[in-house]
Amino acid sequence: MKILTHEDRSPLLSVRAVFLTGSAMDPPGEEGAAWLAAQMLAHGGTRRRSYKQILDFLFPRGAFVDVSVDKEMTCFRMECHADHAEEMAELLAEMLCDPGWREEDFQRLRDDAVHYLEAGLRGENDEELAREALYGLVFGGHPYGHPCQGRVSSLRRLDMGAVRGFHTAEYGLDNVILACGGAGAESAAARLRGRLGALPPRTRSAGFVAAPPRLPESTIVFVEKPAQSVAVSVGFPLDVLRGHEDYPALLVAVSALGQHRMSSGRLFQSLRQHRGLNYGDYAYIEYFPGPMFTLEPEPNHARRRQIFELWVRPVAPEHAHFAARLALHELEKLADAGLAEEEFEAARSFLMRHWVLLEEARSAQLGHEIDGLYYGTGRQSAYLRERLPQLAPADVRRAVERHLRPRALAFAFAGPGMQALRESILNNAPSAVQYNTARPDWLLREDEAVCRRPIAAGVREARVVRVEEMFE
Amino acid sequence: MAQRNAFPFDYELYDLANGLRLITVPLPWRGTASVYIVVHAGSRNEVEAGRSGFAHFFEHMMFRGTPDWPPERYERELQRLGASSNAYTEDDRTVYHTTLAAEDLDTLLAMEADRFLHLEYSEEDFRTEALAVLGEYWKDSAEPLNRLHEKLRDTAFDVHPYKHTTMGFLRDIERMPEMYDYSLAFFDRFYRPENTTLLIAGDIEPPRVRSLVEPHWGPWPRGAYRLEVPQEPAQTAPREARIEWETHALPYVAVAQRAPAYEDTSVECAALDLISALSFSEGSELYRRLVIEEQWADELWANQVDHLDPYLFTVVARVKQPQRTADVRRAMEDELDRLAAEPPPEERLEQVRAHLFYRFQLGLNRSDAAASHLAPFLALRRTPETVNRLFGTYACVSPRDLAAAARWFRREGRTVVTLEEKAP
Repeated sequence: MKILTHEDRSPLLSVRAVFLTGSAMDPPGEEGAAWLAAQMLAHGGTRRRSYKQILDFLFPRGAFVDVSVDKEMTCFRMECHADHAEEMAELLAEMLCDPGWREEDFQRLRDDAVHYLEAGLRGENDEELAREALYGLVFGGHPYGHPCQGRVSSLRRLDMGAVRGFHTAEYGLDNVILACGGAGAESAAARLRGRLGALPPRTRSAGFVAAPPRLPESTIVFVEKPAQSVAVSVGFPLDVLRGHEDYPALLVAVSALGQHRMSSGRLFQSLRQHRGLNYGDYAYIEYFPGPMFTLEPEPNHARRRQIFELWVRPVAPEHAHFAARLALHELEKLADAGLAEEEFEAARSFLMRHWVLLEEARSAQLGHEIDGLYYGTGRQSAYLRERLPQLAPADVRRAVERHLRPRALAFAFAGPGMQALRESILNNAPSAVQYNTARPDWLLREDEAVCRRPIAAGVREARVVRVEEMFE
Repeated sequence: MAQRNAFPFDYELYDLANGLRLITVPLPWRGTASVYIVVHAGSRNEVEAGRSGFAHFFEHMMFRGTPDWPPERYERELQRLGASSNAYTEDDRTVYHTTLAAEDLDTLLAMEADRFLHLEYSEEDFRTEALAVLGEYWKDSAEPLNRLHEKLRDTAFDVHPYKHTTMGFLRDIERMPEMYDYSLAFFDRFYRPENTTLLIAGDIEPPRVRSLVEPHWGPWPRGAYRLEVPQEPAQTAPREARIEWETHALPYVAVAQRAPAYEDTSVECAALDLISALSFSEGSELYRRLVIEEQWADELWANQVDHLDPYLFTVVARVKQPQRTADVRRAMEDELDRLAAEPPPEERLEQVRAHLFYRFQLGLNRSDAAASHLAPFLALRRTPETVNRLFGTYACVSPRDLAAAARWFRREGRTVVTLEEKAP
């Protein structure tokens, strides 16, 4: 067990308990076991208290315990006021170490997971649908190949025994990082250390999560569903993690290309600012949970396998082909020419200063410290402040050349008119955009070239699937 | 507990001669500062036919630059500063917010003043931005909850601008590219100092901040426009609407009641906040029944969002057993009906007060969070003190007051909207 504590005079206590396990450890056919095990702890009862009793306990304290389950990390997060630090630490210990495993909780939480896939992903959030479809393509047959919630069919089959089995095997004292910060942090850490220390060791080996197979040729999935616009995600496997020698340079490049939810990126400027094609366009070299809901990356989603990802927010169906072409055009320009000096300086400066803000809240700081332990790079703000000043534009150019010039890409589109879009892409049909106002000559010339470029050479597979088939 | 201020930080108010209000809040987190520019104009200001959604659209235009700070230069500078910057529009406000290193406050205040005083954009840029807004609408409309609230407002209101969402009616959004001239008038009317509150919170020294603000923002001239918002007549009969969703969806039920305008000393207004937590939160008996025991629904909550004019108290549930939709609706309505007849025990009310107090405290965990929690209140009353007054009023609400406030839940003032998957 690793323990981090930062006691201070804040009136709040933040705790994160991260188990180094997640959906990548789901046994085959039991996809969703990691998800449900974590939910049973965080949103089910303990042996001593029913879930309702826990909610009644939390309510007058305004406190909460939540959990996030990712591929290789499961993070329990607790926040409360100093007035309740002791009793909340005790509750969290009870939830983590002495779950109630009640059948009615299991039914409720399994329903939630199924509904997340059936109603949430298929019906309510087309952007996340396209992202998950992309991950399904890149990681097909890989432990990362299913949503963290599992699959509809496996969830329906899962019983409590399988979920308890997962918990017994994975939730070991040697597999947890505990971080406490704020009011009463030392005391909370001592209490939790005592209780977590009584857990048995993890009985499964940590396992080696292999790299996903290289995409031999480009592949596309078209998810057909009724909607007014088309969500687009594009990506390919990336070998660069934090700590890799090219990571800092690549981070600068991708920040300049499409820093999350900032309007400074090239993608945003090109697709939205100059052309009004959609609401925004961004690029990533690390998984970003729920990008449509938050401006900041939620920590404790660290992974040993990452992809490069382009996120093109929904576009009018008639612009989907062009938008994908233009996003790739921007990526290619970056790969061809790197960054201009001024652009490089601005992106580097952004990262060095911005990460300090991301770690300001105590809970976020703890979370990022845990990620730093995982990657062996320390706190991200300090890591970047150490590494980025040593960079030059040529380093960025070299890193981009090495890592962002894929032979093959994966594409996911979700929305209406998928058959027509498929034809358009496979036939490389021109896709000019008609604007509602005069546009500058440089832009029209660029469009002229972009609207004919193939989005990928040699597409191996281009399937149209009905949304009802996804995540089944 | 009632003795503790819900907003625990000291602050200073300072009114410039032109009517701009500056609020400075030194905070304990080192090295950062948050600037929240609260413009007291939101979709409530869209009183003319065909102009719905304009406040939000205008928020987008505020990023289209000035002669001195064209958008590329503005964006590049924010990038260089590593700032976290964005904006949003609500019914009663439009908020431009940036968090950055406190040492860069001077630069930011100069840039921001420049765009509020000298915004200038071409018709071409205006027309292009209108398309991005349409893209935002389509993106949002893929979510059932957005459509549910859109329908709810349209059904519950007849004349007040709360009838439309912040995005606006689709028919108006589609016509936005033609409204360039109106956009200039909108800026001229509402982006004025007397209509703006500038919140600066963080690792700051108020006198120094004042000395930075005065030269940049002092020359901003006052406006003269007087807004007249049509007031909604009382609702006299229940209303209902239904949405058919094209793809698989779990049913949603929204039950809404007319609610009074925000008033921080009003027992009635405070009572509705207490009811939302008492009766419809995770800690409520109805949640226990519907979500944990019967498991007919998987989500239940109430929105009692404070507004300048009378708005809605809304209870929403997502039904996970579609055949139980009518039962869930009945349970929600019965709970609203019951409150007037069965006041809760005082001890339970004390738990609700504690819940609201501690939840608010948990939100105050860094500069940006503290500022962002304060901003909606500043749009309503232009002073942080309103938070403390409101929580002070919570302490005065008796079980009997709570039952009396439930008079707002009469059936003739009720609007129910359901969203269900279209039958095959």
